[in-house]
Amino acid sequence: MSRAGDSRADDPGLARARTRLAWTRTALSFAAIGAVLLKLDLAAGFVVLALSVLVWAVGRLAGVPGTSARRGRLLVIALAVTAVSAVALALALFGPQTAGLHL
Amino acid sequence: MGNVPRIPAGRETPTDGSSPTNPAVPGSPVPPAAVAPAAVSPPGEPDARFTFANERTFLAWIRTALALVAAGLAIVQLLPPFHGIRWGRHAIGIPLILLGAIVAVVSYLEWDANQRALRRGDPPRHSRLPQLLAVIVGLVALAAAVLALISS
Repeated sequence: MSRAGDSRADDPGLARARTRLAWTRTALSFAAIGAVLLKLDLAAGFVVLALSVLVWAVGRLAGVPGTSARRGRLLVIALAVTAVSAVALALALFGPQTAGLHL
Repeated sequence: MGNVPRIPAGRETPTDGSSPTNPAVPGSPVPPAAVAPAAVSPPGEPDARFTFANERTFLAWIRTALALVAAGLAIVQLLPPFHGIRWGRHAIGIPLILLGAIVAVVSYLEWDANQRALRRGDPPRHSRLPQLLAVIVGLVALAAAVLALISS
């Protein structure tokens, strides 16, 4: 991918750069949840960490015009979050009953 | 992707008679920022800045959804149980986890609808998500307050 998008004339309002950063934040959110899940359920944690890598990879493509390709990518992200929610729901319902943190 | 030829900035083809003059020419009445998007939008596509903004809005909702899931899971797994109410943590955590899934799906549908509206030149659609989020988070907060009161 060209780095030409960093120049102001090519990227008005730095829209592309800001979108790339938004993708990075989103991938980091996935990674943070994956890291926390590792503590509760190793397999679920690794699944979500793998999803964070997927989000990061999809985000690398941000800034490429062409909405038809974009459409499928964003659907993948929405479904990934739904999957994380399903994993969390399963853990909440069938996971170990913890005594909670007593600080 | 690779099949979209990149047009060098300042040499974009005018799509209609009202197109501004070459922004690279000094003294042009139109600031470059106002015309440059034509260089990054393929023909038939909306202004790239609007497309990017729509995508960032979607991503912001996705992060909100993830935060809701994380909060719900933390309530069920990390919060000490309410005295005498075994289902107390589930009652406030599980709605948040489900809300996370709903926000993810609805934000995708709204992104898609907004993208269509952009292409037609319509105004952006009115998002239902803030209202949904406000109502459900408010109800969960109320339930949490009630649980805290009756378990103490």
